[in-house]
Amino acid sequence: MKRKAGFILAVMLMMSLLVAGCSSSSSTKEEESGKVVLKFLHKWPQPEFAPYFEDVVKEFEKENPDIKIKMEAVADEPMKDKLRVILGGNEIPDVMFSWSGEFARKFVRAGAALDLTPYLNEDTAWKENFIPASLQPFVSDGKNYGIPLRFNGKFFVYNKKIFDKYNLQAPKTWDEFLQVLDTLKKGGETPIILGNQDPWPAIHYLTGLNQKLVPQDVRMKDYNPKTGEFTDPGYVKAMEMLADLNKKGYFMKNVNSSSHDMASQLFFAGKGAIFYLELEEFAEAEKNMKGNWGFFPMPAITDGKGNQNYITGAPDGFIVSSKTKHPKEAIKFLKFLTSKENALKLVKEIGWPSPIEGATNPDTALKEVAEGVDYMKKAEGMAEWLDTDVNAKVADVYLSNIQLLLDGSKTPEQVIKQVQKVAKQIQSEAD
Amino acid sequence: MIKTFQNRRTAVLYIVPALLFILLFVFLPIILNLYNSLFRWNSFDAERTFVGLEYYGRLFKDPVFFTALKNNSLYAIASLVFQVGAGLIIAAILEDKLIRKFQPFFRTVFFLPSVISIAVVGLVWQLLYNPEVGLVNGVLKAIGQEEWARSWLGDSDVAIYAVVAVSQWQYTGYMVMLFLIAMQKIPNEYYEAAMIDGASKIKTFFHVTVPQIKEMILVGSVITVIGAFKVFDEVYVMTSGGPGRSTEVLGTMLYRSAFRNDEMGYASTIGTIVFVITLTLSLIQMKLGKSGQEV
Repeated sequence: MKRKAGFILAVMLMMSLLVAGCSSSSSTKEEESGKVVLKFLHKWPQPEFAPYFEDVVKEFEKENPDIKIKMEAVADEPMKDKLRVILGGNEIPDVMFSWSGEFARKFVRAGAALDLTPYLNEDTAWKENFIPASLQPFVSDGKNYGIPLRFNGKFFVYNKKIFDKYNLQAPKTWDEFLQVLDTLKKGGETPIILGNQDPWPAIHYLTGLNQKLVPQDVRMKDYNPKTGEFTDPGYVKAMEMLADLNKKGYFMKNVNSSSHDMASQLFFAGKGAIFYLELEEFAEAEKNMKGNWGFFPMPAITDGKGNQNYITGAPDGFIVSSKTKHPKEAIKFLKFLTSKENALKLVKEIGWPSPIEGATNPDTALKEVAEGVDYMKKAEGMAEWLDTDVNAKVADVYLSNIQLLLDGSKTPEQVIKQVQKVAKQIQSEAD
Repeated sequence: MIKTFQNRRTAVLYIVPALLFILLFVFLPIILNLYNSLFRWNSFDAERTFVGLEYYGRLFKDPVFFTALKNNSLYAIASLVFQVGAGLIIAAILEDKLIRKFQPFFRTVFFLPSVISIAVVGLVWQLLYNPEVGLVNGVLKAIGQEEWARSWLGDSDVAIYAVVAVSQWQYTGYMVMLFLIAMQKIPNEYYEAAMIDGASKIKTFFHVTVPQIKEMILVGSVITVIGAFKVFDEVYVMTSGGPGRSTEVLGTMLYRSAFRNDEMGYASTIGTIVFVITLTLSLIQMKLGKSGQEV
């Protein structure tokens, strides 16, 4: 008798599992109870950043009791793969993280991202809240596909004590920059700290150098996968200048086997004079160096063919899935995320530069972060990260060759030849 | 007569579910993969373009493919020499009467690395290989071989050897364990007979131990060689194929094509080639071992 009861119980358990498995995802259930469920995917699972998003989501749910946010976060590197996989499936988040530039445009071309232009035009107050340069990189064919959350720039941060010791000033031109490096080298200092084990930090150098050396229209044509040729001599020159920094011994030793984190520790401990850092890392610099640091943008290259008044950097933010069932709610959530109030909170609590006009000011943010955002506002344009601004395959050639360029086993000409070959192949596939 | 028929029908009935499973989860994906390799497509775009065998042509002209093949072969050879070869010798020594007392201790020590997660192993070795603070260079300096010290994972000439070495460190103990189990099944009479005949220890090893555990050696070499061609995680964690493309293996190349370069078709092509390679190798090994039983 007892055994029979057990058997029946087991069967019932299995049946209930089967039924639960069949009744399609929980979202429908929630909808029946009158709630809209929005799936939200962002890039900051780190304990210092995640609480901000949890707070904002909680606040939003309190104000909108009929909307429920299902939040998920994965880190920077995995995000690149996750987005590609997730967009092919059926459980696409309604609001998801994306970098700007080509990274977002490939999703736009595949029809996976929702056109947000009508929503921005409908609510001009919302649109005008953004610093214009932060919306621009998310535009494709005149339409807005993304909403920026952060506005990130790259600057050379220097150790004030070391600079003072040699009586050095922040350089304005590349030649001055080389002189500074030379003085530091002769004085026995490590002029530049660089951790290029994952090769993106060196790519950030190349981002700025390409922009400063190649005429703007040529570069834009090349970065477009349909017309990319990469035949301008500026691309080779850019790589030569980067390789030269290493050849002359201005970078620290073993750049290819040190991680960026390890490099940061070295710099914060005062083991080097200059370090190329993002605005979002400024808070960390201040925490560790307490006023003993200053910064300057990448110096102008006197005979460079590109616009010298650009800043390297880009916004990152969110796109909305074209398959979302709740575009209105998704927009509502995005508006909430980018409201002045939450932007101020973002700046204050986690020290990130915000793309919202006036949110990043000396009262809310670190003085240097506010100055950095000012640089970007005054700039005539942004040089977006090379590894997300060109087609993934071109980026891959750059990323995998830059270590070899630095250790001298490949020449700039060899690398650019490979870039040209891949660009040609992409062009033929685009037709 | 009727009984055999009924028995056979019952037998078939028992096999069908398993057969369906294998068809659905093993053979269908292989065929689908082959089919997918004929198209240009990516994971987020519904549009597919038929390209025929174009990707196969490109693969055999891709220098990275040959780097990867070379690295996988290196992996396979090193695994055979160290995991199977050295593993066998270590197991035989541990089974020796003089050392058997300490066997549990050594067995545990050797086996320990293979139970650690690969992500952890990769990160730990990244630190050990670090040119500035790593233990490897530290030891080399301490014993006065400073010219040997280098940036192990950052130097494209030696990085692949550094990565292969970690795998040997991790899995040799596992093989030792398998061989020990097989050796303990050998009846003691054989050894006694060999001893009475006056056979030396080395002779006993080659004429008693090795023939008796032939099956296990075969299984071990099939596992390690196939494993060497499917390797992905160790390389991905430690170098992700770099510096440059010097440590790329077929697994990381496939991953890069699929999830970084948005070329699922090319990734499927690489997958098909990996399948062909491993299938051929295991067929050869089974043929050489003349059987695939007791697996």
